[in-house]
Amino acid sequence: MITDFPASPLPLPSAADIEDELAALGGSEMIPKALRRTLFPVITKEDVFNLMLAQRQTPDKVVADFAETYRQYVGAEFALPTASGTSSLHMALVGAGVQPGDEVIVPAFTFIATAQAVVAAHAIPVFVDIDPLTYCMAPEAAAAAITPRTRALMPVHVHGLPADVPALRALADKHGLALVEDASHAHSAKIGDRVAGSFGDAAGQSLMADKNFPLGGEGGIAFFSTADAYERAVAYLDRHGIDYGMSWVAAAFGSSQLKRLPYYDEIRARNARLLAESLSRTGLFTPPHVPDGHVHAYNMYRIALRPEAVGLDDLPVWAVKEAVHELLVAEGVPAREWQNTPIPCHLPFTHRDGFGNGYPFSLNPQAARDHRPEDFPVTLGMLDSTLVLCRELRSPVEWERVQRYADAFHKVANRPDAVRKLVETNEYRRPYEKAARLG
Amino acid sequence: MELFDTATVLTRVLTSGVVMSIEKSDRELPGLERLLTKQTGRAHAVLLNSRTGALHAALAGQGIGHGDTISLAGTDAETTAFLAWLGVTVAGDGPAAYDYLALDTANADRLGELAADATAPALVVDLTGLGFGPAAAVLTDDRDVWNRAERLKIFGAYDLRTMWTQEEADADLIPGVQFNYRLSPLVAACVRMALTQAARPAVSGARS
Repeated sequence: MITDFPASPLPLPSAADIEDELAALGGSEMIPKALRRTLFPVITKEDVFNLMLAQRQTPDKVVADFAETYRQYVGAEFALPTASGTSSLHMALVGAGVQPGDEVIVPAFTFIATAQAVVAAHAIPVFVDIDPLTYCMAPEAAAAAITPRTRALMPVHVHGLPADVPALRALADKHGLALVEDASHAHSAKIGDRVAGSFGDAAGQSLMADKNFPLGGEGGIAFFSTADAYERAVAYLDRHGIDYGMSWVAAAFGSSQLKRLPYYDEIRARNARLLAESLSRTGLFTPPHVPDGHVHAYNMYRIALRPEAVGLDDLPVWAVKEAVHELLVAEGVPAREWQNTPIPCHLPFTHRDGFGNGYPFSLNPQAARDHRPEDFPVTLGMLDSTLVLCRELRSPVEWERVQRYADAFHKVANRPDAVRKLVETNEYRRPYEKAARLG
Repeated sequence: MELFDTATVLTRVLTSGVVMSIEKSDRELPGLERLLTKQTGRAHAVLLNSRTGALHAALAGQGIGHGDTISLAGTDAETTAFLAWLGVTVAGDGPAAYDYLALDTANADRLGELAADATAPALVVDLTGLGFGPAAAVLTDDRDVWNRAERLKIFGAYDLRTMWTQEEADADLIPGVQFNYRLSPLVAACVRMALTQAARPAVSGARS
């Protein structure tokens, strides 16, 4: 039976549980198997009712109303609803004036859609390394990659933390480039009072159902700072006969969910805060860095390891990570890697077949490079030394569950001997030496 | 489809809690795939979020890409523009690269009959006219066409089932550009209901 309530309640946290033997070594699991599933997105009777009402509107009005309401929420000047996040990024690039053969600077750490959207715009993605604290595009790396054919900087607000927009804006202005945000992780994220999606000349954002702000399945939205940019994108779709239209079914679900987005944001922020406070006391684990004035949306929560804090600094950090990952999963914490290889080393960017016969890379062969993971040392270091929680902090994740996650991290951090034994026993490989993973 | 029927389908899917296309427990997308293959007699179905996504998938599925030339039996200006954006030229009078049909409420009951006339390696079926937003499918008997089309619509080099590991399943299928052309399970459920109802024989005394 489907119900709004868990099939059985999660046990309340207990201090004694942290002292128990690790689950991987025969102890009790911090979160039993039957209680691990988290439901997302939250679907209420109001959502059902609002979809019923949407049937009585014209499809175009349902989609237009959704786009206008969300545009106002974000504070962008113009909005174009699309079928997916990738198509929204494509439209953002086109609106910003990107032309075939242009170079667009993107971070080496992102979801592959960022770079594929550049290819969709018949342009060439030029990959740069990230900042070691924020994991977003490093402005100095972007500056070093600018050439006479660069048309745009495309930072990603990775995991929901806004990139260093002031520095990137200054860089873009200095060189006459467009600033195009990939805000796909960053619903409700802010710098000061401004919301991600409204910072750049244009922005794209995924609204697929696994995002903090979910539509009914798949969807995206592009934002533009000027009428010219918006009209350029619309004219492009007309000229090329492309259908990137959003379904009214997805839009209606989004309109309903948008009313609760601020509440979801509050729950996620509370859960992230609770976990950060707890992780900071473990020694081994460090919570995400959030610069002053930034509001992190925590679409994902990337946790860094500090083996030196528990006497494991003689071991490779990636091996410590593998062992810790194994121990956490055994405890019932759904930690994951979420990427293990810099995006430029994924097959689409090593083969560079594009639309076929090497197009659009053939338009600008100088910009297309063969990369090794070592070309992006900060990205590689982050992939070696961090683990991620995804849905696990999102509403309706309850206080008890977050507390149990936190306790599981403490339980593992208290056992460097077990971590050492696993590292010495198992033949772990560096993350990027395994099959490239996107998630 | 009557409003009540659409309401019932939407409620059923929302109550299942699964509205995401990459959710392992989704039953709506496989359900629509099964219905389309059954009604058309084709072995494989690829579901996409638009007509143009399906055109792209039908060509990419056959390894046709930028710089290639195809034959087609008559195209409208919009399609020609889209093919030009893909870098594909239409010329010649050879066998068509794909067959195309658009369904709406007036002809949805004739899908099987219309598909029977199609002879190209890929059949593009535009489902947008059924009223739930842009939606389409590519039907084919060729497993390689299906494989390549699936990889086009989902990120990474490989299909939906392996996107999280990117493990090589077939080295001959070289990865290129990928889009997110995925269809929403909610839309798929409505399309399936519309096709099912259209194909159902009329019952005396039943409401039309």
